[in-house]
Amino acid sequence: MSPTTIHVRPTGVPDQATPGIETRDLARLFRRSPALAGVSVRVEAGRAVAVLGANGAGKTTLLRILATALRPSFGSAAVDGIDVAERPEEIRPRVALLPHATGLYDDLTAEENLAFAAALLRIPAPDRAARVRVALERVGLVTEGDARVGRFSAGMRRRLALGRILLGHPRLVLLDEPYAALDAEGLALVDELLDEWRAVGTTVLVATHAAERLAPRMDGWMRLDNGLLAEVGGAGVTGRIAAPATAGHEPAAGAQPAGARL
Amino acid sequence: MTALRHHLGVAGVIAAKDLRAELRGRQAVTSTLFLAAVTMLIFGFALGPDQERLAAAGPGLLWLAVILSGMAALGRLHHLETEDGAFELLGLYPISRTGIYLGKALGGLAAMLALGVLVLPLTVILFAVDLATAGPALALVIVLGAVGFAAVGTLYAGLTVRLRAREVLLPLLLLPVVAPLLLASVSATAVLLAGDPFAELMGWLQLLMGYDLAMLLAGGLTYGLALEE
Repeated sequence: MSPTTIHVRPTGVPDQATPGIETRDLARLFRRSPALAGVSVRVEAGRAVAVLGANGAGKTTLLRILATALRPSFGSAAVDGIDVAERPEEIRPRVALLPHATGLYDDLTAEENLAFAAALLRIPAPDRAARVRVALERVGLVTEGDARVGRFSAGMRRRLALGRILLGHPRLVLLDEPYAALDAEGLALVDELLDEWRAVGTTVLVATHAAERLAPRMDGWMRLDNGLLAEVGGAGVTGRIAAPATAGHEPAAGAQPAGARL
Repeated sequence: MTALRHHLGVAGVIAAKDLRAELRGRQAVTSTLFLAAVTMLIFGFALGPDQERLAAAGPGLLWLAVILSGMAALGRLHHLETEDGAFELLGLYPISRTGIYLGKALGGLAAMLALGVLVLPLTVILFAVDLATAGPALALVIVLGAVGFAAVGTLYAGLTVRLRAREVLLPLLLLPVVAPLLLASVSATAVLLAGDPFAELMGWLQLLMGYDLAMLLAGGLTYGLALEE
């Protein structure tokens, strides 16, 4: 069966002239083994979209390419119309990534970790302390600001990494398993942040296995399978479906990503 | 001018972070200082009590200890970045690659100089070296040698940090490249300790400065490759 294009009509938000994210035949090989094998997908600016799929489906690779951490082997990817491989320096100020590993320094305190990130995000020096304080408060770590991160639990590290994203004003937020290792309070924090980003029109891509929890907060979704785009659904996402088993499937216009189905 | 200020600003932030983490964790210098001390002690005992023989071997052994422990320190400073994926994240900030390189090199230089300061008294005690004749010129040689080693070591530590065999590859790749630096540093130190009877020092200093500049330039231009996958 040949690849089929699925067009999903967006709900409420008009089509954007420039897509938030657009990939064309995007492929990435690791030692000749494809992690992504030709994904063509388009996500409207300002949409929140879940990236679903089993382990090894290519979710993290897609996010890392969009964040400019990886270069595509073939094909192209663009954020706000800017090619990530050709002009990565223009992409980086627009994108924030929450990776699997939190990227924190154990020997620095929570506050010092965020202050370091704030300096590298080129936040003016006079504003840094206040921004760091606000971010620590927002993620519920203000009382642990002076504690070294090496003593933090996995959940606290995750929250601090989320706080790092709050320092800047990215146009695209990429979250890789944001619910991992979090307690009930942390899970609620992620939900709130997703709602806030949606409200201000930030494009959000969330790679997750927690589809049911995420569903109410997403406009649309895509599912990867062995590096191929297997399904798209909901609002704001279109793509070329490559998996024969799912070709021809077209979700109802405006359908929310139902957790049970995902 | 603005670009240079940006490079230096980024370098300052990264070097300050590395130094702060090192002062708290003491992982790069403390763990490698022991290596330097053991190297010098072993050679000291092996060479025996002959003062003339010890003094002749002193400059070479000083630099051997600094280079061996410095290599471990630079590798360790980079390894700290990879423990929780920080190295990849560092490459995603909207900052210059050159600035990142200079920052890591500055942190490496501080570790190298700290090692030099700690190893120097050992050289005096174990190898009967008289530093009074060398004076500030020896400090200059040590600084130039440390700058060159930090410049090239940071580049190679960055390029190998994500490899599983990094601990084997780093010395394999680095040692041939630092051979001219080692030659110039050891020779300049030996000439200084001997009182520079043939006025050779300036030639070695010029070689050291040229090497430092070339390696800083190469590192600044190519370190970005280490951050890409």
